[in-house]
Amino acid sequence: MPFVFNYDSREFADGQAQAGMNIELKDIHFSYGSVKALDGVDLSIGEGACGLLGPNGAGKSTLLRILLGFLRPDRGEGRILGRDILHDQFAIRRLVGYMPEDDCLIPGLDAVAFTAYFGELSGMPRQEAMKRAHDVLFYVGLGEARYRLLETYSAGMKQRIKLAQALVHDPKLLFLDEPTSNLDPQGRSEVLELIKDISSRKDIQVLISSHILSDIEFTCSNVVILNKGRIAAQGEIQALKQVDYSLYEMRIKGEAETFIRALRESGCRVEETEEGLLKVYMPPDLRRDGLFRIAARENIQIRHFVQSRTSLEDLFAKTVGVD
Amino acid sequence: MPISEQGYRHWEGTLIGRRRPWAPITRLGIKLAFKRKYFKFVLGVSLLPALIFTVGIYISEKIEDFKFMIRGRNRFLTVDPAYFKAYFTGDFLLFMMVMIMVLAGAGLIADDLKHNSLQLYFARPLRKRDYLLGKLGVVSFFLLLQTLVPGLLFFLLKLIFSGSFKFFTQYPRIPLAVVLDSLLLIVFFGLYTLVLSSLGRNRRFVSILIFLVYLFSDIFFGVFYGIFHLPAFCLLSLKADLQQVGAALFGVPGPYEFPWMYSALVLAGLSAAAVFVLLRKINSVEVIK
Repeated sequence: MPFVFNYDSREFADGQAQAGMNIELKDIHFSYGSVKALDGVDLSIGEGACGLLGPNGAGKSTLLRILLGFLRPDRGEGRILGRDILHDQFAIRRLVGYMPEDDCLIPGLDAVAFTAYFGELSGMPRQEAMKRAHDVLFYVGLGEARYRLLETYSAGMKQRIKLAQALVHDPKLLFLDEPTSNLDPQGRSEVLELIKDISSRKDIQVLISSHILSDIEFTCSNVVILNKGRIAAQGEIQALKQVDYSLYEMRIKGEAETFIRALRESGCRVEETEEGLLKVYMPPDLRRDGLFRIAARENIQIRHFVQSRTSLEDLFAKTVGVD
Repeated sequence: MPISEQGYRHWEGTLIGRRRPWAPITRLGIKLAFKRKYFKFVLGVSLLPALIFTVGIYISEKIEDFKFMIRGRNRFLTVDPAYFKAYFTGDFLLFMMVMIMVLAGAGLIADDLKHNSLQLYFARPLRKRDYLLGKLGVVSFFLLLQTLVPGLLFFLLKLIFSGSFKFFTQYPRIPLAVVLDSLLLIVFFGLYTLVLSSLGRNRRFVSILIFLVYLFSDIFFGVFYGIFHLPAFCLLSLKADLQQVGAALFGVPGPYEFPWMYSALVLAGLSAAAVFVLLRKINSVEVIK
């Protein structure tokens, strides 16, 4: 069955595409020379907002490059909105909006001309692009400043104009790379609200690459964690947080080092904060009273013991293996 | 700066596939060039030779009326292929073309590199070819104003002022030579400007580069020619190469006694090298850091 895409009705149909999946990658490999950047990535992302997390060098940028069609994977296949990433790059770019991390502008242009220009390059008729540019600039909060030259914009305004150019052609899929960098707390919360508003619509998929885990937690229902070129975790944030371990915070009196060693020997992962708080990730086969037995054996007094809620930070730390 | 309280709204239109996806890039480049300081002035000055040669064509047809001014120097007012060649290969016109490139072309790619805009272009349905054609279009537009437009205008005015087609039957190759020499100048200067623009992120640096490479190629030629008295050194000079090939296209002897084919090869080689460098430098892989 040939691929059919009806942009107006925002429907896509394809015999091979998995129902409800906007991004599907299978066994994607990519290397920069001898350095493996992606090593067998399988990915399925459906509707809503999805966060892309990972430490530096995990392969996030390479994955985005492949999704945007800038890089051709060494091996593997994939579809975005039902379109083949290897053969339909143009169609994909028409349907995708991209907000890069770096400041991007064209000197000498005001926001309206800039936004309309990129709308036109995406395939919008000139007049329509101009009208739409006004709309999106009001939407991102630059309505009053839309005739100012971009060079005079503050860092926060530059962030918004990048979002405006990504939205101008009404994409079906939005890639946001560090959307809240350079923003003050108020600006950050406003942009996050915008992203939430956009992603709350069932027909716009948002993929956010960010280092700020709280941003991901605020805006996304799903997360993909990359580590060393592989998918370390993937799925709904709530479901992933229901992990097969319990997290306890404790303060102790006694020889901490031997206690930590004993905990680790029993299968726990232990982190010590600067304030002397111990965060103990307990495996499912160890019961809570086991901790007290170990403490008693090592002559440790437990002065504070609280079961902690697992946050995205905890999930990230556990998945990637960093503090 | 409150965020709009209305929610996100879809656009109801339909995206179109353009036959000339590079056209918006060219249009914007031209618009931005006119915003540059001194650009309109320099463009106006660069059109002065066209004005003077137009007046020359008029006078050549009304020579009896201007006898008191000419006083035996009417060899300058003989409109023939050499007259056209004198316009197209004139030092001043070539210099003004370089000045136009400095003002309108230096930032074409350098600004995009400096302000990271390449990634925005290539996140759109644009090929590298479309991007480069769009940028080349900006340079071409201004060079056309200095070459093809006045060249064809001279020819038409000559026919109009003379009131017959005798000039056309006498020199039928002139229109073709005008088109070919215009194309040569546009392609060469276009690629020359774009490649230098892609080598730096600083518009000023590129401007200086465009000017100095042109100037020093001519200075080197002058120095070597002065020492060795060999016309072959004209190959070192971009200006001399353009003059040699231009003269050959109009069917008149070049300024240097050296086969024009070698100059044509130098220009073709430089243009090919420029295309090679441009295709390597403008790389969508680098668009996301």
